[in-house]
Amino acid sequence: VTAPAQLDRPETEEVVDPDRPWVAIVWNDPVNLMSYVTHVLIELFGYTKAEAHRLMLAVHHEGKAVVSTGTREQMERDVTRLHGRGLWATLQQD
Amino acid sequence: VKFNRGRHGAVTADVSAVEASVLASAVAQLLHLLGEQDAVDDDPLAAMVGLPSGDVRRPEDPALARLLPDAYRPDASGDPQFDAGEAAAEFRRYTESDLRTAKRAQADRVLETLASLGGSGRLQLDRADADAWLGTLNDVRLVLGTRLDVTEETYEQPLPDDEDLAHALQVYSWLGWLQETLLDCLEPRPR
Repeated sequence: VTAPAQLDRPETEEVVDPDRPWVAIVWNDPVNLMSYVTHVLIELFGYTKAEAHRLMLAVHHEGKAVVSTGTREQMERDVTRLHGRGLWATLQQD
Repeated sequence: VKFNRGRHGAVTADVSAVEASVLASAVAQLLHLLGEQDAVDDDPLAAMVGLPSGDVRRPEDPALARLLPDAYRPDASGDPQFDAGEAAAEFRRYTESDLRTAKRAQADRVLETLASLGGSGRLQLDRADADAWLGTLNDVRLVLGTRLDVTEETYEQPLPDDEDLAHALQVYSWLGWLQETLLDCLEPRPR
């Protein structure tokens, strides 16, 4: 008798690529003025008015928008700057 | 009162005594809130070597927590090893004190420009003053909006019967309008 060969197959686990980029996200809140959010996105990230307006609308209608992408350290800096302006922001791995 | 574009990039506003007093009181409350100490478990060794110390937690007051939010949500990473709570605490340990200081400095600057009126009169703000006003009006509205639990529909609803609450909502609404007139005067400057 024989037995089928044991395949050395490890349990599949979701492997997170440590190099996957991080993103800074702005979340919707009921207080910040639409014009203010647009103003801040232009000043902090150099977006054009049209780009900043589109991102602000995404925050407003979809509840959040990615406003910046980079390393974890860069995103911590961006979130710090966003908090300085009173926007509700977090960072997360994309 | 509303903000207007003045000469040479200045921003002006004619402020009545009542308006100046409402503004000064709102900013003073903001400063008081920002001065409240967090729950910190002091680490004397870290203090000796000048490192940020202690376990700085998210403020329990929702208004203060809105000014000083967590930077990481529980689902910040798909990596099961990643501890978002620890990351948020670490971030807070290294940044919160600076954030409070910056917000306080901004609010102090607003109070100074108001005090220079001697009660009422024409505010003359240069760009740095105007930026401080913009940020502080926003912080004041964040605090008031959180306290009043406003929603995006608040403006469309009739005022409540409770007089104090109705008054607070009117102040909140007025501050939003005032901030909007200031934004109309300021061309965003990327930096």
